[in-house]
Amino acid sequence: MITLVDFYLRMIRFENVTKLYGSDVAAVREASFDIPKGEFVFLVGPSGSGKSTLLRLMNRQERPERGTVWVAGANINELADSRVPYLRRGMGNVFQDYKLLMNKTVFENVAFSLQVIGRPKHVIRQQVPQVLELVGLADKEDRFPSQLSGGEQQRVSIARAFVNRPLIMLADEPTGNLDPATGEEIMSLLDSINRTGTTVVMATHDHRVVNAMRRRVIQLDRGLVVRDQERGVYE
Amino acid sequence: MFARISYALRETIASFRRNITLSAAAVLTSAVSLLLVGTTFLIQRAFDNLLVQWRGDVGMIVFVRPDASEEQLTFIRQTLEAQPNVIDVKKLDYLDRAASFEEAKRVFAGDRTTLSLLTVETIPSQFKVVPLTTDPALVRGLADQYRNLPGVQGVALAEDEFDVISTMSSFVRGVTITMSLILLGVAVTLIWNTIRTAMVARRNEIEVMKLVGATNWFIRVPFILEGLTQGLFGAIVSCGGLWTLNQAWTSGVAGFKTGTGVSSLVVPGSYVSGVMIILLVIGALAGGIGSGIAASKFLDV
Repeated sequence: MITLVDFYLRMIRFENVTKLYGSDVAAVREASFDIPKGEFVFLVGPSGSGKSTLLRLMNRQERPERGTVWVAGANINELADSRVPYLRRGMGNVFQDYKLLMNKTVFENVAFSLQVIGRPKHVIRQQVPQVLELVGLADKEDRFPSQLSGGEQQRVSIARAFVNRPLIMLADEPTGNLDPATGEEIMSLLDSINRTGTTVVMATHDHRVVNAMRRRVIQLDRGLVVRDQERGVYE
Repeated sequence: MFARISYALRETIASFRRNITLSAAAVLTSAVSLLLVGTTFLIQRAFDNLLVQWRGDVGMIVFVRPDASEEQLTFIRQTLEAQPNVIDVKKLDYLDRAASFEEAKRVFAGDRTTLSLLTVETIPSQFKVVPLTTDPALVRGLADQYRNLPGVQGVALAEDEFDVISTMSSFVRGVTITMSLILLGVAVTLIWNTIRTAMVARRNEIEVMKLVGATNWFIRVPFILEGLTQGLFGAIVSCGGLWTLNQAWTSGVAGFKTGTGVSSLVVPGSYVSGVMIILLVIGALAGGIGSGIAASKFLDV
């Protein structure tokens, strides 16, 4: 039974979560934290500290060896494999390398998210232009990814993640391949998405981004949560 | 629902086009193996035509003249049944003229001249005799004895007609079944490999599909349909080949003299149609199974 407390105060909850790669290499060790609905959280730390693994645990790309991961009140460790797609429909994913389909146009890339979950054409025709307007690419819907700049490609990726109006958006180094100015534009976009009530969890090691936003920071070091700070910075 | 079906069909066609070379190879291999499967069926049927008279361990056929009286027929039956030590009386079978005519339609399938001379009124009825003894001299002695009974038109012995054909039939059947099974395995493997290649080529797309919440079945179905289509196309090509082969065979057999027995090797068109349906089912199943296994195994590309 999902309670309102679960839903609002614990949109994501980690309880003593440990994830091993191989038999003894711990990517995440005894991680425990709550992320309430609508929060913007940075996961920071050097490469290999376990940031991406935490994101992969949240969308059930990985399962922990120990501990429990809760999302929207559901223990996703115990979720049947057949239910995982329905969990992911409530999440948007943004990647450092965008993961756009190069043989599809901007419109088709964004529409793809809706097509594969069986949304009818009229819904797709209505929702895709709206979200392209939101990310500032309304005039480029017929272009292919190769005809866009890096920043524009990341906007398409964000549009694809947001078109289904997810509860949670997971972003893995979304500014990693972008220059500082373009990175700021992307952060501004993620901020405005967060303001619509979507919980945003973003892994990054970009100090400038974290320090400019001053949001909650969970810092990792070799798989351990070493700091969890409201309105934090990253030195 | 319509959107999903439409998506699956579009993706199937697109993927088939993208991998056209591999798809063509899979279709051709399926076609060759299924053609061999079909040929096995036809060869078997052709030999069955030759051997249909001798099914069930029949070792001797006593032909009774069509104008034989009821008394003569009864006398022949009583004579056969009077020797339970050398004849399996329980298996003694009598084919009246109507049943004999039906059998003749298979035996003389390719010999229209002979068949046109036969009617239910002119064809001999027959006793099918299963001898208990394996001594050929004793069976020949029995045959000579029955030849002289009133109303008997003639006696045919299996060992004169059966043994070589039977041995050849078993050999040919063994070889063709083995070869067709091997080739069918090759076809399934090739379809499996085609689908695996298609999935690896589209791994980014599959990853995105999974992350935006597509179910595994939604991802698998276009790949399974692609394999099924390859198998089905192969089967259609093999059906064309089988039909052509049978036409050529029928024409070739027509060139032989009547009465040589070769005419029995002709397979009727209705039987070929049945075999074609079987080939379509096998082709679709082989494609579906090969691609289904690949689509499940390589979903986590």
